[in-house]
Amino acid sequence: MVDDGTGLMVETRGLVKRYGKFTAVDHLDLRVRKGEIYGLLGPNGAGKTTTIKMLCGLLKISGGEAHINGKQVPDGRIAAEVGYMPQETALYPGLSVHQNLAFFGSIFGLTRREIEVREKTLLEFIGLPEWRNEMVGNLSGGMKHRVSLACALVHMPPLLLLDEPTVGVDPELRVSFWDYFNEIKNRGRTIVITTHYMDEANRCDRIGFMHDGHLIAEGKPDELLSLTGCACLEDAFMSFSAGGREEAER
Amino acid sequence: MKMPRFLTVTKRVFMDLKNDKRSLALIVIAPIFVMFVFGLAFSGEVKNIKVVVVDLDEGAAGVSSAPLPEKIISNLDEEVLELEYADGREAALEMVENGEAYAAVIFPPDLTSSALSGMADGSPASPVSIELLLDRSNINVANAVTKEFNDALLATVEEAGMGMPVKVDATAVFGENAKFMDFFVPGIMAFAVYMITTLLTLVTFVGERTSGTLQRMLATTLKERDIVLGYAAAFSLIGIGQAILLLLVGILVFDVTVVGNVLLAFLVIALLAIVSQALGILLSSTARREAQAIQVLPFVILPAFLLAGIFWPIEAIPAWLRPLSYLVPPTYAVDASRAVMLKGWGMGKIWIDIVALVAMAAFFLFLAVLSLRTRKD
Repeated sequence: MVDDGTGLMVETRGLVKRYGKFTAVDHLDLRVRKGEIYGLLGPNGAGKTTTIKMLCGLLKISGGEAHINGKQVPDGRIAAEVGYMPQETALYPGLSVHQNLAFFGSIFGLTRREIEVREKTLLEFIGLPEWRNEMVGNLSGGMKHRVSLACALVHMPPLLLLDEPTVGVDPELRVSFWDYFNEIKNRGRTIVITTHYMDEANRCDRIGFMHDGHLIAEGKPDELLSLTGCACLEDAFMSFSAGGREEAER
Repeated sequence: MKMPRFLTVTKRVFMDLKNDKRSLALIVIAPIFVMFVFGLAFSGEVKNIKVVVVDLDEGAAGVSSAPLPEKIISNLDEEVLELEYADGREAALEMVENGEAYAAVIFPPDLTSSALSGMADGSPASPVSIELLLDRSNINVANAVTKEFNDALLATVEEAGMGMPVKVDATAVFGENAKFMDFFVPGIMAFAVYMITTLLTLVTFVGERTSGTLQRMLATTLKERDIVLGYAAAFSLIGIGQAILLLLVGILVFDVTVVGNVLLAFLVIALLAIVSQALGILLSSTARREAQAIQVLPFVILPAFLLAGIFWPIEAIPAWLRPLSYLVPPTYAVDASRAVMLKGWGMGKIWIDIVALVAMAAFFLFLAVLSLRTRKD
């Protein structure tokens, strides 16, 4: 892959994560450009979540290195530049929508006034302004996902790391989530998103196929389709995973 | 001024509690409930023990005053012993054997005459025995009956002018007029704070782990130590609140006397709360679900319940088991708060307990932080 000159938001070189003898991520070389939506795709156990967690500093790196916005992971300054949305909704059900947003905002040192302003914008953005004072525990699953996204955005990070944000979300809401992601991208932010829904891959600027801890292919969706001659990305993935890593790199 | 990061966690814990009526009830009502249950049911005083009396005493010729059995019985505490009368030794023994009474006392026919025989000429009284048949299967009750009769006998002998040549003259250095509740309140205060803080932190933190909020926090600018310190600050304040509440109930309902500086006792309780919450966080790493967390609790609660000196002094625990008492955090809090509240001791005399609690707090806080860090491996 050639850097188009916009600069890299995420770069990993030979990134490795081992659990004892098991290698979850194996020499991963990843380059995510600033302002793009990059999709990490692959089946369960491919190493997508492990990669995201290493980038967040939630897991120690066993080998290689990772850089975010020019800073090498781990670096205390990185956290303020990253908005992380885990697979679980990861909210406090006993707190209201406002209290959850206020808590995650205050962690990043936002003042009460700043939180108020951002909360108003974010609740409009996710379409839940009237639910501000509702306990999160009383919200539907889809609403919780939207609030979770808002919590990841509250400190306006330049990079969003979204770990399977659409799992368990109904198809209609998934579409609106991608509208949110595109709008976030249009505001100049970078998004790295993991998913195992191949139909979502078409919405990414670029995607990386992961299999058994390896990045087996990377490129724009239409590039990967033309490389394999497949009609859909699901078939393209199967083609790359069957052909092995060497073929994908060739 | 910018708020320290860990205080955002403290604030969040309080927000959560404010909305969670069940946990709030656990914090406020459970300690008071524990105090009432133990304070009323386990007062340490045995009452209404059924004792059968067989009075065979024939009195003494030429003595106008009441026979000795009557005098002894009049010196018994009616609240402690509930007397019934039987005609003979066999009938009384049968009642004890059938479980209808805990003890039988048999006053012999020559009790008064023998005891008073020496009074007239100044010679020592003839030896005579009052027989006490005891059900010693309940040692507390048996001891209480024996003590009651010994005390009553001593009082009767003194009233009759047959004073003991040597007697013990006890003066209270501490705890003049102290009741069992005075001894018990500092213990139950420490126990309630330890139990509830460990339980709440354990369950809350398993929730933090399973819901993903812990990961989310750790992906922010918060460090592991901020989270642990945030919880420590919240639960030490809650611990102080519980201690104030328990003390108020103790004073207003149970008429507990406090002679020392209560603020020092609160400091001790706050330290114990910090140890307890760190222990809760540490234990939460062993559980994947709340149900698993609860399984750990007996190993935390029972040693404290039995070995920390809450109900009986540590000296009453077998010597080989005693070292374990010193591994249980509430032991130091019970000892220190009791010394402050009952004896009026200050920091100069309880510093060993404080040092032990501070060391335990530092040790468990360190391990709690470490347990969060090892998640990254």
